[in-house]
Amino acid sequence: MIYVIDDDVIMAECITRVIAQRFPAEECEIFTNGIQAIQEINGEVKLIFLDILLDGPDGFAFLNELMSYNDTAKIPVVIVTSLKIKQDLSGYGVVKVLDKSTMKPEEIVSIAEKYLCKKPLHSDSIAGEAEK
Amino acid sequence: MESEVNGILVAAHELKAPLGLLRQLAFSLDYAKDKEDLQHIQSQMIDVSDRALRQVQDLTKIARLDDGLFEMEPVAVRAVCDDVVMELRHLFRFNHRNLEIDYCNRSRLVVANRDLLYSVIYNFCLNAMHYSDEETKSELKLSDKNGKVRLDVRDFGPALPMDVWRSLKNGWVKKPTSIAMRPGSSGLGLYIASKFSQYMNANVGAVRHRDGTSFFIELNPSKQASLF
Repeated sequence: MIYVIDDDVIMAECITRVIAQRFPAEECEIFTNGIQAIQEINGEVKLIFLDILLDGPDGFAFLNELMSYNDTAKIPVVIVTSLKIKQDLSGYGVVKVLDKSTMKPEEIVSIAEKYLCKKPLHSDSIAGEAEK
Repeated sequence: MESEVNGILVAAHELKAPLGLLRQLAFSLDYAKDKEDLQHIQSQMIDVSDRALRQVQDLTKIARLDDGLFEMEPVAVRAVCDDVVMELRHLFRFNHRNLEIDYCNRSRLVVANRDLLYSVIYNFCLNAMHYSDEETKSELKLSDKNGKVRLDVRDFGPALPMDVWRSLKNGWVKKPTSIAMRPGSSGLGLYIASKFSQYMNANVGAVRHRDGTSFFIELNPSKQASLF
């Protein structure tokens, strides 16, 4: 299970679309705010894509909440934001910071590949499967 | 000069988001799962670019306000509201939100410029949609108050901070200012609404609620119809 937390549904859909195509076995869930996500999260979540400027509590508040629970403290988090983040957030489980305005789908794929420990499906094989 | 530079920075920042989104949507075209998804992405690209273009148009209108190019005339305010609602209803539906209208004003005509009034209402409604929680409604209400026609757009989102409320209470917003409790907001929409309202001799303001905010504009009714 992968969580995508972004108040911009269109941006969240862009991320889930890439994952759904390359990792079809993985389930993605979109949350538009951190409160709802923290209420539903459990240790089965393998990866989180998190925006910082959210409606209500921001992404940093979400990270603090995440760290405070035993079962969620070790979930890897990818920050997806247009803010320039200079501080080191690795202590909060942040494994990568992606800039919304410059990120590419390949970056999402390579992160997911690393933290889901799965090989992504390639476009050719997907096309082949569709033809079958 | 400083506020002008600040305004340019805010405008640039505000336009960065839709451009970044368009870039991601363009990438998404390669990842669409079927034809329906492809059409969905295309319609999102059109929506995002429409909103960005509208913002650019509003900014260029501000630059032309001083030239007095926008004619003031009797405007049927309900018809303008209907047009805005018609344009935004797909966007509201797509974002799982609802926009309700309530017209209880007696004066149908107001003294305004249709384009500017349309932009103000559009910005208020878009703002309400953005800052409302999912599956909630926003309300657009027209009423008569103290001899003026008042248009309220109510959202059920985070409350407006005191400093922004105070600056609105003291008159028009003089420069775009980020609204801390409303993330992603540069206050540009409010600044645009303020500028346009000032031009139309109308008042803008905000009412804080426990569970959201109402932004309003008070317009002068047109007496032209009463001549008949």
